[in-house]
Amino acid sequence: MNHIERDMAALSDAEADRLPTYPIACGVNRKLLGDNVTYSMWCKDPKIFANGFIAGQKYFDFDFAIGLMDLSVMAGDLGAHVRMDDENTPFVDKHIVHSLEDYEKLEVPDIRKGRSHVIVEGTRLFNEKLKNEVICAAFLEGPLLALTQTAGAERVFMDMFTDPSAVHAGLRTMVEFDRQMVEAFSETGVAGLVWDYLWGNYSCLGDEEYNEFEGCDKYAGMLNKLTADSGMALCIHNCADLPHLDTQVKKFKPVIYSMAYYPLIPDSPSAGEVIDKGYADNCLIAGNIDPQMFIRAKTEKISKVTSDLCQEVKTALCRRGLKSRYCIASGCEVPPDRATKLDNIKAVVDTVKRDGVLEGC
Amino acid sequence: MKVSQIAGFLGSGKTTAVMKIAEGLVNKGCRIAIVVNDVGEISIDSKFIEANGLEAREISGGCICCQIAGSFAETLAKLHEGFNPDIVIVEPSGVAIPWGLKRAAEYSEAKADMVIEHAPVITLVDAVRIDMLMRAVRRLVETQIREADICFVNKVDVATPEAITKTEELIRSINPRAEIAHPSSITGEGLEIVYDAIMNRTSPRYDDAVEEEMLRKEYAKGV
Ligand SMILES: Nc1nc2c(ncn2[C@@H]2O[C@H](COP(=O)(O)OP(=O)(O)OP(=O)(O)O)[C@@H](O)[C@H]2O)c(=O)[nH]1
Ligand SMILES: [Mg+2]
Repeated sequence: MNHIERDMAALSDAEADRLPTYPIACGVNRKLLGDNVTYSMWCKDPKIFANGFIAGQKYFDFDFAIGLMDLSVMAGDLGAHVRMDDENTPFVDKHIVHSLEDYEKLEVPDIRKGRSHVIVEGTRLFNEKLKNEVICAAFLEGPLLALTQTAGAERVFMDMFTDPSAVHAGLRTMVEFDRQMVEAFSETGVAGLVWDYLWGNYSCLGDEEYNEFEGCDKYAGMLNKLTADSGMALCIHNCADLPHLDTQVKKFKPVIYSMAYYPLIPDSPSAGEVIDKGYADNCLIAGNIDPQMFIRAKTEKISKVTSDLCQEVKTALCRRGLKSRYCIASGCEVPPDRATKLDNIKAVVDTVKRDGVLEGC
Repeated sequence: MKVSQIAGFLGSGKTTAVMKIAEGLVNKGCRIAIVVNDVGEISIDSKFIEANGLEAREISGGCICCQIAGSFAETLAKLHEGFNPDIVIVEPSGVAIPWGLKRAAEYSEAKADMVIEHAPVITLVDAVRIDMLMRAVRRLVETQIREADICFVNKVDVATPEAITKTEELIRSINPRAEIAHPSSITGEGLEIVYDAIMNRTSPRYDDAVEEEMLRKEYAKGV
């Protein structure tokens, strides 16, 4: 099978030669473009951004490509200050909401500028090059995530309780920002759009608050529908410890759901449990190698972990009567860090090629 | 290098406690660095820092996601290579998970030649605002209490005795194994046990805990 055949099989739970795999390697791919290519060069130039994905695909031989940049793209374009180190993920170091009135003052930036432009244009470029080889998807921060990045998560969580209408005012601006981004991404020709709905996490929000502020009907619900109506497959990424699976998988109905696993958090669902509970019945689940292993683990160790995960997944799929609906992935982005070992990314892919082979139950 | 986390939700008194504890540990001859997140209303007094031979760094508040781990690990590695403190006192954002912060701290071992130890995880529980916090951000407060080794019932100087008792009961119901202390970072009263805990005790490493968990699971499969 080629990559796209394998992807299509896994998406529809048909027979496949092996499990698909995609360690979420994005910014780290720049290292294949030469030692002089820094993170800030990669994330500010659409060509370099795209070339990273193209080089990554050639070197690692993934089954998917997802155009994740980082979680400060929208906040940065909204005016928050982003600290950008050469060899690390950038992050917001000055939020721009200091009072309730400030939520009202947020304005959708011109998405033809800034890093919004880079990510849309870069996604178009890598999709053009890779679309006949793998399924390509764009990546976008959901409204609540974009707002917490802009205003500070703790502040937003407190204001949700004390002044919810102010938070909703901010969210409406994020939704409009997202709406414009969906439109722009739909014109790039990508097959899918991955939403980061990070706060669907029982460590932070219960069902009721999540429903209200992610806007399971009005905000996220509307954007999910818009995604599909714009011709892109709805995908969701959530690296939380206790994800809202019933809402995000069963209610939102994405075709791909990417999630992490926290072995020390009681009730954080393992791959086997997620399959056992039926979340892979109608959705391709992707997970859940600890991203930090790409930096810290010896290559033998990450190969062993990958092999064990393949075994766990294959056993659980059989138990559930499923054929191929799990993608061996990394739960969260492979750190785009100077210390990340490219050999470990390769080891995951190579191990899945060997131990992810599906021989029937 | 030892990492000491002082957790707690927005405004629970973390920065005040970090500064007081740092001062106390400096007076005991420790070389101390502090890493704070920048959301707070108290800005760090740079003169105090210079006078006490502290080194301060900022990390952004805001994300429980792995994305922040890299820059935090980088900060620790740079501190080790430059200032080389014995203990780094960290004020994480109120949405950080203590285990996640331990994991991120150990990540710095890939960036500098050092081994990370953890001091007992301290969570501050604001006795004055506990009712409000439990209504507004119950899950975050519960997570921080659940993962703490030591909980401070904080702002005891102004809280009512009823509020203090209630806070203690809450802590016990969420995390029966946590030690409860009532120090005051305003007067410095009751902080001796904190200095002792940070200097002389440790809390498990993330890596070891994961390995043990894996072992436990393997045993479970065997029987
Ligand atoms: N009465 C009293 N007030 C305190 C105590 N500790 C801190 N405060 C006050 O509580 C407020 C918040 O203290 P900070 O130390 O900034 O709290 P924080 O947890 O660092 O806050 P953020 O960084 O904003 O999350 C300040 O006004 C402090 O003066 C205490 O022990 N007693
Ligand atoms: Mg503070």
